[in-house]
Amino acid sequence: MKRIAGESARTTLTDNATGWLMVLPALAGLVVFVAVPFVLALGMSLTHLRMGSPLGAQFVGFEQYLRLLHDTSFQRALINNALFALGVVPVQTLLALGLALALNRPLRGVAVFRTLFFMPVVFPMSLVAVVWILIYAPGPNGLLNSVLDTLTLHHWQPRDFLHDPRLALPAIMLTSIWQGAGFQMVILLAGLQGIPRERYEAAAVDGAGRWQRFLHVTLPGLRNPLIFVVIVTSILSFRVFDQVRIMTQGGPLDATTTVVYQAVQSAFDRAQAGRGAAMAVVFFVIVLAITLIQRRLLRSEREVR
Amino acid sequence: MRRKSPVSLSRRALLTGLAALPLATMFGGCRGSTSGRSARRPTLEVWAHAGQVGERSTLVRLADSFNSGRRSFAVRLTLLPEGAYNGQLQAAALAGRLPDVFEFDGPYTADYAWMGQLQALDELLPEELREDLLPSILAQGTYDNRLYAVGQYDSGLGLFARRDRLAAVGASVPTAPADAWTVAQFEDLLARVAAASAGKPPLDLKLNYRGEWFTYGFAPALWSAGGGLVSRDTRPLHAAGVLDGSKSISAMRHLQRWIASGRVDPNLDDAAFTAGRVAMSWVGHWEYPRYRQAVGKDLALLPLPDFGTGTRTGAGSWTWGIRAGCRHPEAAAEFLRHLLQTANVLAMSAANGAPPATRSAVARSPLYAPDGPLRLYIEQLARGYALPRPRTPAYPAVTSAFQQTFHAVRDGADVPETLQRAAALIDRDIADNRGYPHREAVRA
Amino acid sequence: MRRAALNILQYGLLLGAALVFLAPILFMLVGSLKPDALVLSEAGSWRALLPDSMTLENYRAVLARTPFWHYLLNSLLVNGLIVGLGLLINSLAGYALARLRWRGRDAVLGAVLAILVIPFEAIAVPLFYQLSLLGWRDDYSVQIAPFVANPLSIYLFYTFFLGLPRELEEAARIDGAGALRTFFTVVVPNAIPVFASVAIVTLLFYWGLYLWPLLMTTGPSVRPLPLGIATFFTLPPLHWGQILAFGVMMVTPVLALFLVFQRGFVRGVASSGLKG
Repeated sequence: MKRIAGESARTTLTDNATGWLMVLPALAGLVVFVAVPFVLALGMSLTHLRMGSPLGAQFVGFEQYLRLLHDTSFQRALINNALFALGVVPVQTLLALGLALALNRPLRGVAVFRTLFFMPVVFPMSLVAVVWILIYAPGPNGLLNSVLDTLTLHHWQPRDFLHDPRLALPAIMLTSIWQGAGFQMVILLAGLQGIPRERYEAAAVDGAGRWQRFLHVTLPGLRNPLIFVVIVTSILSFRVFDQVRIMTQGGPLDATTTVVYQAVQSAFDRAQAGRGAAMAVVFFVIVLAITLIQRRLLRSEREVR
Repeated sequence: MRRKSPVSLSRRALLTGLAALPLATMFGGCRGSTSGRSARRPTLEVWAHAGQVGERSTLVRLADSFNSGRRSFAVRLTLLPEGAYNGQLQAAALAGRLPDVFEFDGPYTADYAWMGQLQALDELLPEELREDLLPSILAQGTYDNRLYAVGQYDSGLGLFARRDRLAAVGASVPTAPADAWTVAQFEDLLARVAAASAGKPPLDLKLNYRGEWFTYGFAPALWSAGGGLVSRDTRPLHAAGVLDGSKSISAMRHLQRWIASGRVDPNLDDAAFTAGRVAMSWVGHWEYPRYRQAVGKDLALLPLPDFGTGTRTGAGSWTWGIRAGCRHPEAAAEFLRHLLQTANVLAMSAANGAPPATRSAVARSPLYAPDGPLRLYIEQLARGYALPRPRTPAYPAVTSAFQQTFHAVRDGADVPETLQRAAALIDRDIADNRGYPHREAVRA
Repeated sequence: MRRAALNILQYGLLLGAALVFLAPILFMLVGSLKPDALVLSEAGSWRALLPDSMTLENYRAVLARTPFWHYLLNSLLVNGLIVGLGLLINSLAGYALARLRWRGRDAVLGAVLAILVIPFEAIAVPLFYQLSLLGWRDDYSVQIAPFVANPLSIYLFYTFFLGLPRELEEAARIDGAGALRTFFTVVVPNAIPVFASVAIVTLLFYWGLYLWPLLMTTGPSVRPLPLGIATFFTLPPLHWGQILAFGVMMVTPVLALFLVFQRGFVRGVASSGLKG
């Protein structure tokens, strides 16, 4: 930041103290409630600590991590997290983009639609999970089964979505997409409405067709919101827990188990604190790595240096 | 759900909100302190699980009746949701916030006692009372030769059936445990009933339940086949060779086959039996009131099928203990004695259909009279057909592993491999905790 | 002519999508007005969305069986404080990072961005142990304190303040106001949109928080709504109609808030530093 005429040296000195004063509460909160537990997790992950045990915690080095390395359930959880992110992020983003584009043309009643698409976001995931259990009910009476039956002109065999190892994860993904798309849509819509009309008109004058205008005006104009949306959705998709806990409990056959679910199950249901902590550490490292890679690949414009 | 509370809940919430200060909770102190706001006398904190409607309301009534007697203290009852109940208790224990008296699921007795969270009850309960308790109750609550927990009731597990559906296919109805159907007969019966109802699933296994049910309800199948969850008599405790032994595998395979061949109702609405969709329901005593209301006199109670070594069934249920650090254990014991009074045990048994925990109550119970409808449960308990779940501090790992196993097997997993992984999980937990060595003395 | 065709196409697509988005919500609403037995049995027919008859019995039963208002009060209290206190300290931090020069500023900014990546679930279990061992559980403050400082909020404020024109602040500075005074008297009144959007984003996220209260609270005295519905869900016997009624009641407050403030929210998002 350059000095502007009128700014004095006194302002800078005061800024020092004031700066720290203003940032301290938030920083303290982050340190106490995020940094410290993380360090604690590192420590716990090097033991066999069991919740409430009268035995002292004994140091076992990296054994918890070695076990995780060879644990097929944990490997499956990592794969599921990856599949979930790879499925949800593009589909949800494309859906949100499509809806935002459709809402961007001035038309009567557009605001009503916008509200409708956003409504699922207002629902807590735990509630969404409970309702979708009903929607996925097995047998011809289930809502989704009968809808699909109608759509396929009665060629549909009713399925037990949440107990089918191939359909359970997509079922959970669908639930998540339904709940989250509206939020991205609002951000992208705001981004779309921020693209000046002149650019479209200039492109049209230059002879660009609809598709080319989309490619060369819309998408570049949406660059920052899109990047933001992709990164945030990716991070959020790794955290999937509520739906798994309520709808499938990690099953069937580990088809929907996730890292967070296993960490909570180990630490809370089985009292295995050391193991849960090791999972948390692994989880953080992976998410950090992916996020850093994403940020590097998707450098947004006007980034703070 | 009602709670006995000296302070109205919303007033407390408002005050807390205004203060926005860390609220020192009033749980977990056997200090006998007045709550500072309006308690007339010192309060004992009591936690229990929120079970079936009748159970809950009866327990609330018993707490109220205790409080209205002339005593120098009162109890404050809090009902906790049943899901992850043990996890919630452990979380509270970790923070030093266990209540003075708390209910917990019987098989966890060894775990809580090992962790030093319970006080021994031998000195606190009169001898006549202890002699009046059923042997299974005493065995369930004992760890390391000391009594740590007592329950108001034991449990009963069997097959509820609609007589007319069985009669329609000409099935014989076994009444005594010794006459239980063999697994082959049972599967044949399932096929006949299904055929008679155009292929609809004839059996309900409560697949919609969560958590502990699966261990409680289906470990008996393993025992009946000659297998089990962990070694019963040989030390050191281990699961390898038992849980993944050929007998256990065969029992789980039977269950898997029933589900895979469409003999079991998924029961999403928990009404498969009451609505008449299924002919038989594999479930415990707690459904008796509801089933009785739906089916009436046509309701029959049968032993579980025999998987090879005779029918076996489950035992053990919710039990009560006193927190180790509680400094007024006599007061807490007074509450336990109140719960175990014959009239109160009978009231609870009438509400949830469970076998009463004391002999005097059994003698006076219409449900468990020699010609009573639930006599089978007492017979199973008395004659050794009912076995307790493994009494070990490793129980949380054991039950979690088996629940996961059941879900995997239900969804079609390879049975031997799944059982082997579960056995490995359990054995590793035991090894990590150095075999759960016995505690020498209780930390007061 | 083409315009009309495009309009029809647009309406058609929007209507189709709206149906998909709306169906589960309608299903929930209608199901809450039906007797239990019909909820599942009619789920497959069009009666799932258009019932024959309606009844308020489920709502009455929910209010009788669970302390719903208490759960609601808990949620309002906890979330109100998370949002309110969060707006205060996160905006201060964002402003300090964006506008003031001070030693270590860049390092702190880096730290905030790094912490932004740590998902709560990664530290939930160790934090649970950390606070439990201190005896801190089962009250309101333990549900509020960990979430007040929020790296995402700080980042949103930071980006917004970066883009704010400087004239107003300079005027205040020339008049001799310190940074804090400037912030509260000049910056905040002109930053309503970002405050609104941060408030709404935070509220939406924490209104539905389930994992943390599950680990840290017992019993309904301090538990919030999402736990209410989950525990109601495991309370025997299972009454689907009542569960759905609980859900409807649970989502109505936030829905109402959103409907009232949605335009502000969209404007807030639009004027934050997110667009290109």
